[in-house]
Amino acid sequence: MGQVARKPMVDPGAGHGGDIDLKPFINFLVVLIPVLMLSAEFAKISVINLKLPEGRGSQTSQAVKAPPKVDEEDKLLLTMIITDSVVTLGAKNGFLPSMFYKEFHKYVSRTDRTVELTSEVDPANPTKPVLNPKTGQAFEISERQDIFLYVCDENKNVVKCMYTKKDNLMLTSADGVPLQSVKGGDTVYTTTNPRKMIIVSNPAEYEPRPLSAYDEMKNKLLKIGERYKEAPDREDIILAAENQVAYDKIVQLMDVAREAGFPNLSIAKLRG
Amino acid sequence: MASHGRNKFLTAKSTGLIITSLIDFFSVVVIYLMKSYSSEGSILTNADNLVLPNSMSTTKPKEIHVQVAAANDMILVDNVPVVPTEDVRKIPQEDADPIIKKLEEKLKACYAQEEEMVRLGALNKIEGDITIQVDKNVDFDVLFKIMNTCGKVGYNKMNFAVMSRSEE
Repeated sequence: MGQVARKPMVDPGAGHGGDIDLKPFINFLVVLIPVLMLSAEFAKISVINLKLPEGRGSQTSQAVKAPPKVDEEDKLLLTMIITDSVVTLGAKNGFLPSMFYKEFHKYVSRTDRTVELTSEVDPANPTKPVLNPKTGQAFEISERQDIFLYVCDENKNVVKCMYTKKDNLMLTSADGVPLQSVKGGDTVYTTTNPRKMIIVSNPAEYEPRPLSAYDEMKNKLLKIGERYKEAPDREDIILAAENQVAYDKIVQLMDVAREAGFPNLSIAKLRG
Repeated sequence: MASHGRNKFLTAKSTGLIITSLIDFFSVVVIYLMKSYSSEGSILTNADNLVLPNSMSTTKPKEIHVQVAAANDMILVDNVPVVPTEDVRKIPQEDADPIIKKLEEKLKACYAQEEEMVRLGALNKIEGDITIQVDKNVDFDVLFKIMNTCGKVGYNKMNFAVMSRSEE
């Protein structure tokens, strides 16, 4: 008993001398945290560069119709077109079949982040207010978080395609056809640039999801990029949009074009 | 004596600050902040009620240029309101060469300032760079009119500000 109590008394320096004096370290951390906080960036802002031809306002549809004369025959003049119901690709020789899409908007309430609603946009009345399921009031436009475009067929049914569950990557066959189903042992390709080959080992890792028009556009652009490697303007693409198309869609399509290997973007206006 | 010694030992232990957990916490905070450290700081200031679209782009904004911001209600140049967006929408869409008058005046003033700086030798040449921040819900019509106006004034290199999507 007495020995137990005496132990610290006998060797008083052992306990304290063995510990590191942490006070200076804490002081250092307390100073370091505000310094780092000042220079931390929480929301990363980046930029998309777009260079207009000098001396003119912007590239208009006339510029598409009357391109510069130099080796016009070889040029691809790839154009991505977006209207309020269709996305498609056009080039010098013609147009690919139009891709009709259905538009879905995802709203998240500003006051209560748990209230979410994804609703389809009525093409006949696109400005129709969407009601908050909790309060019954209409969502403000700034509460719109995401715009999804899903490809639909002639009967206005949304087309499904296989996606990886984890990364949400669209799967296609070797020649770029969207896959409807996968089974073990299949060889599939993702729509990344360059395409990645996957041999399906566990079909449960994949599931059918609505085919996003952005993914399908990327798929088509990848195909075109592979086929027209020789074109002198194989990095150029013109993005033509209709007046009422939201800026968000344009930025998404610019992303798609850049990822598919068409970094030189120009923007044109589609006249009705 | 024995019991006294034990009491002293116990009280000393309970009143002392428990520093280990505090240091753990600080270390985690420091590591997190170091991860999101940027040497440039934020060059672009985000205008109020303006939601930038998400993009995969990782190009960093380089220098400070003239900034045009287009929100749903107002168009701002360098954070000064210039013209209501509603007025821009009223410009007829058939116009092949739409010019936003007030924005043009403002940008011309900026451009003249840059020319003056070139004359004084503070700049080498006018780069014609402009940063455009557009709310993601603004329609293409407004964007086109802004781009056309900027291009007419002489700002041809446009940098569209976007939110970088965090990649895990």
